[in-house]
Amino acid sequence: MSFELKLTSIAFLLVVILIIASLVVKRHISVKYSFVWLLPCFLLLIFVLVPGILSSITNLFGFQTASNMIFAILIGFLMIIDIALTVIVSKLNEKVRLLVQEVSLLRSNKKHDK
Amino acid sequence: MRVLLVIPAYNEEKNILSVTESINKYNKENKSKYDFVVINDGSTDHTEEVLVKNKINHICLLKNLGIGGAVQTGFKYAYDNDYDIAIQFDGDGQHDINYVKDLVAPIIQKESDMVIGSRFIDKDSVGFKSSSARRFGIKIISFFIKLVTRKKILDTTSGFRAINKNLIEAFAKEYPAEYPEPVSTTEVLKKGYSVKEVPVTMKERTNGVSSIRTWKNCYYMMNVVLSILVVGLRRYKK
Repeated sequence: MSFELKLTSIAFLLVVILIIASLVVKRHISVKYSFVWLLPCFLLLIFVLVPGILSSITNLFGFQTASNMIFAILIGFLMIIDIALTVIVSKLNEKVRLLVQEVSLLRSNKKHDK
Repeated sequence: MRVLLVIPAYNEEKNILSVTESINKYNKENKSKYDFVVINDGSTDHTEEVLVKNKINHICLLKNLGIGGAVQTGFKYAYDNDYDIAIQFDGDGQHDINYVKDLVAPIIQKESDMVIGSRFIDKDSVGFKSSSARRFGIKIISFFIKLVTRKKILDTTSGFRAINKNLIEAFAKEYPAEYPEPVSTTEVLKKGYSVKEVPVTMKERTNGVSSIRTWKNCYYMMNVVLSILVVGLRRYKK
């Protein structure tokens, strides 16, 4: 990996990590869900910083090139995050439905009592 | 036996009053005591004003939940108020109050737990039977329900249904949000409850648009079939 590419990669990853961190601090992302983003970032950071790791893992899994492996890993990560988000949305949907129903029932009861 | 009609209504300002008046009229003429509750599913028209002005017993959902969530609210109301039988009765004037006694009878006689008002049992009836494309869709759903439960249901999408007290409790706790009629029927059969179909005739909608516009594309069918197959895979305890 060329020095320039290394520099670009590190800068990009640091920016992403900072964005996630600031979102967590502002409570726009809960700590629990920030891990799924921070983990791949730090993993990639290690790949960039420790020289031998990338090529040896590439050989180990039989990828042709390191970039292929990075793409494959990232796509895998994104899919897992997406599946997790779908689960979360489905559960939230259920909860919102329950809340709307119960609140509406309570409100109509209250009106009757008046 | 206390009977509650659950009437889901979404933007039915033109129909809802005639529906509830038909029930009141029927009650007066037949000395029956069918209670009803209208579930206003977050209508954006003047449904709420009509309900309030005419002092119609109703629950106003704060946000639109769709037919499944609306009807389930009615079952929760039935459960909270200790009703013995709950009947889903459309707010668009499609269903005829005169058939309610036929839906209620098998439950009172403890013949079955759920009774579906079916358009297809009485082949000679002249009522509204939907377009041929819809009938074809209903047949496909029927096939998959049979595949999963080994029971034949003819009118799988009928929204004119009565359930007994056990099912009121079950539905109050859990009711499918999407494609509720075919999916809940499959669940009920899988849990081992008995379901009966009785012949009814339905009217064509007088005003407004039916909620099932999605019939036109395959998306609805694929989802219903998938949901039924998923129910088939689940393990239920009665």
